[in-house]
Amino acid sequence: MMNTVAKISRPTRKSAPFGPDMTDHDLQKLYAFPEIAAIDKSKFPTKNSLEDILKNDTRIKRFKPGEIVVREGDYGNSAFLILNGKLRVVLSPGLTNYLLGQKQTPKKSLWKSLSQLFTNRKISEVRDIHRYSDPANQQTVKGTEQHSVFLQDFSTVLNSSNTALLEEGTLFGELAALRRIPRSATVFSESHTELLEIRWQGLRELRKYDNNWRRLIEKRYSEGGLANFLKKTTLFGHLSEEVLQEIAANTLFKSYGTYDWAVPYKNMRGSENDGIQREPVIIHQGDYPEDLLIVRAGFARVSMHHKEGDQTITYLGAGHAYGDDELFRVWEGENNVAFKASITALGYVDILKIPAIYLEKYVFPQQKFRHDAQKKGEGALKPKRQFSNLLHHSTDNETLMEWVVQERFINGTQAMLINLDRCVRCDDCVNACADAHAGNPRFIRQGKTFGNWMVASACMHCMDPVCLIGCPTGAITRVVTEGTVIINDDTCIGCETCADSCPYSNIQMVAINDNKGNPVLDLESHKPILKATKCDLCIDHYGGPSCVRACSQDALHRVDFSDVHPEGPVNREWVK
Amino acid sequence: MTLTLAVWTLVSLAMVFLWQWTQITEFTIGFPSIVTGWVLFGILVALAIYNIRKKLSVLPLANSSTWLNVHFPVGLFAVGVFWLHTGFQWPLGNYEIFLTLLFYLTTLTGLLGLLIQRSFPKRLTLSGTEYIFERIPLEIFSIQEQAKELLLNCTRQTKRDTLATQYMAHLDWYFQRPRFFLSHVFGGKKCETWIRQQCSKVEIALNPQERTFLQNLFTLANTKKSIDLHYALQSILKYWMLFHLPLAAALMTLAIWHLLLVSVYFL
Repeated sequence: MMNTVAKISRPTRKSAPFGPDMTDHDLQKLYAFPEIAAIDKSKFPTKNSLEDILKNDTRIKRFKPGEIVVREGDYGNSAFLILNGKLRVVLSPGLTNYLLGQKQTPKKSLWKSLSQLFTNRKISEVRDIHRYSDPANQQTVKGTEQHSVFLQDFSTVLNSSNTALLEEGTLFGELAALRRIPRSATVFSESHTELLEIRWQGLRELRKYDNNWRRLIEKRYSEGGLANFLKKTTLFGHLSEEVLQEIAANTLFKSYGTYDWAVPYKNMRGSENDGIQREPVIIHQGDYPEDLLIVRAGFARVSMHHKEGDQTITYLGAGHAYGDDELFRVWEGENNVAFKASITALGYVDILKIPAIYLEKYVFPQQKFRHDAQKKGEGALKPKRQFSNLLHHSTDNETLMEWVVQERFINGTQAMLINLDRCVRCDDCVNACADAHAGNPRFIRQGKTFGNWMVASACMHCMDPVCLIGCPTGAITRVVTEGTVIINDDTCIGCETCADSCPYSNIQMVAINDNKGNPVLDLESHKPILKATKCDLCIDHYGGPSCVRACSQDALHRVDFSDVHPEGPVNREWVK
Repeated sequence: MTLTLAVWTLVSLAMVFLWQWTQITEFTIGFPSIVTGWVLFGILVALAIYNIRKKLSVLPLANSSTWLNVHFPVGLFAVGVFWLHTGFQWPLGNYEIFLTLLFYLTTLTGLLGLLIQRSFPKRLTLSGTEYIFERIPLEIFSIQEQAKELLLNCTRQTKRDTLATQYMAHLDWYFQRPRFFLSHVFGGKKCETWIRQQCSKVEIALNPQERTFLQNLFTLANTKKSIDLHYALQSILKYWMLFHLPLAAALMTLAIWHLLLVSVYFL
């Protein structure tokens, strides 16, 4: 029976500012810049003043010539405003990993991993609470902090690569920060530069309270990196830069659904109409095809009427296009062409609508081979992913697809999928997870089941991690290179926002104990200090997730649901 | 799959080689059992390391499934080497008999483990619901509470206690804790038949309103049956190791003593 407790002040958002070095002098300096000076301070609430936002959600960063600011493919939680100097954005084709100096997250040494087995205490969730009062630990968001990386052979890159100039007053990086997608291009410093880095929480506030910033962000948001994005698609990959710019300029950008889709989704679950009926419609089955649709971010459901209801055929994720077959048939002169399926937004989705004229002008003339395929009846509505071979023995393809889409497992890039026909329920996975995480497992071996498959309650490291929305300190974030969603214990203030936001309830709040095993309570309310915990894929251990390595029956895999198909990388043997 | 095939091939080749070698040595130098004894001991150590690997899950020492894939063929190889070592004969001394018994029991429990690990998970999946083993007592308590609540409602609404009396006389026993353990383990239908019998016995004495309650009680009993099945099968899946591991530990200890004795008295 413990009769002592440790007490600390409950951390708040201001306990973990983005840039702890921001001084009043820095703030005064910022107000001198036209982009900041133009902001109407009076529009901001007292509790969340402009000064608070600038002090807590921004930091000034300085870069030397050749230093990389953001790298293509990395995940980022902040945008940048150029205060001084010049930067270059690398246009397609991007730079190689070697030139970008990309590295993996540092791992624990083998000895440190091994010693964990002996140093793990009987009482779980023990923390060194002195860390929380040390400002040095509040400065970095582990795994997201980018150390200075310089372009290898800067001058050659500058001369040989296709780059564009970014000058003072330019905002960039907002798309990745707000839409939780990888950076679309690499930006490096051409001269000595000074940038204002704004974490997405601050960006959200600026967009909310200031009209000019809202307009700027939305404009940048819809246009930013579009040509680069199109270059990476199969349909437009072969086109020249000029043509891509022309198409990008005439592309319509539209968002469907709610950006913070987790709350409505949670409310929708379990209600009578919890399916397609409540999803925002992008196109109706039977509509005349006028544009090609490309998903920029988020997910969309492709469904067809089936008797009295609707049947899910497949889903579309970022980069997937729909409507090219229909548009091709129209171009070929076929009459009465219509979309064969409906497209609805799953949560939220950003759609690019490219007018048919550009496909007719630049794409279809080069795709004569389509003609034969069309005649054979191939093409339109061929599902992007076939799950049937995975589960052919347990159910129909359509039913499974319905389940995967309805439960939003499509969002998971590292879902914990357990083959129950192999699982001996030994909990070795749970124990291994506990061993790797200070005595407390970071998942529950229970979850939604479908036939012999279970998606356990473990963080899926979503393509669109809505848990990031609302975190006041940015403690929950994505690792820059791998995209793994992690929580920085030092800057987590236990507000439970992420746990409430997670549509799959895969984030657990835990009460912490001090080094002596005493519960840690808040000085004022005397309530336990909580911290958010979740699976981190054993990111700091060698060999990958402990749960997978501990499974003696090879019953547990971490899967990207888009890979679970006959041609995908998930081992076919495993599904037998 | 490739690894499993490779291990099986390697083990088979090693077995053939060792057998041939003992045949030749028997006629030339004699005492091939010294070599087979050391080989056998090496194999036993290799097999025992798997358990240490399981405890070191934080280290990147290959997946546990890979180790298990190797553990099984190597275990069978150990049987072959054991037979070569003993010359296919039953030992005479008490110590050797005990050692032999331990070896066979460890092998047997290992094979049994393999058998249940291959067959029980599928049966658990077929039950349609998943229960975490440690939470089963809670699940049973919850079902029991629901059954009692149902009977109270039945008595209140129908003003008759026929169903409640039947419950107290027979079904209460069933709802108290996991039942029909062996029947569930061997895939028998005893539990199902028993529930049907109990319900049929009382059904004839019930009015239509009471029969609705009986139907609900029948559903609860079937849910309990599913929990009992999980309890029985998961118990075996969890606890067979409690036979295999201590036997293996005892075998290793006695084997070391056996090695020492041989080294001291025969070499």
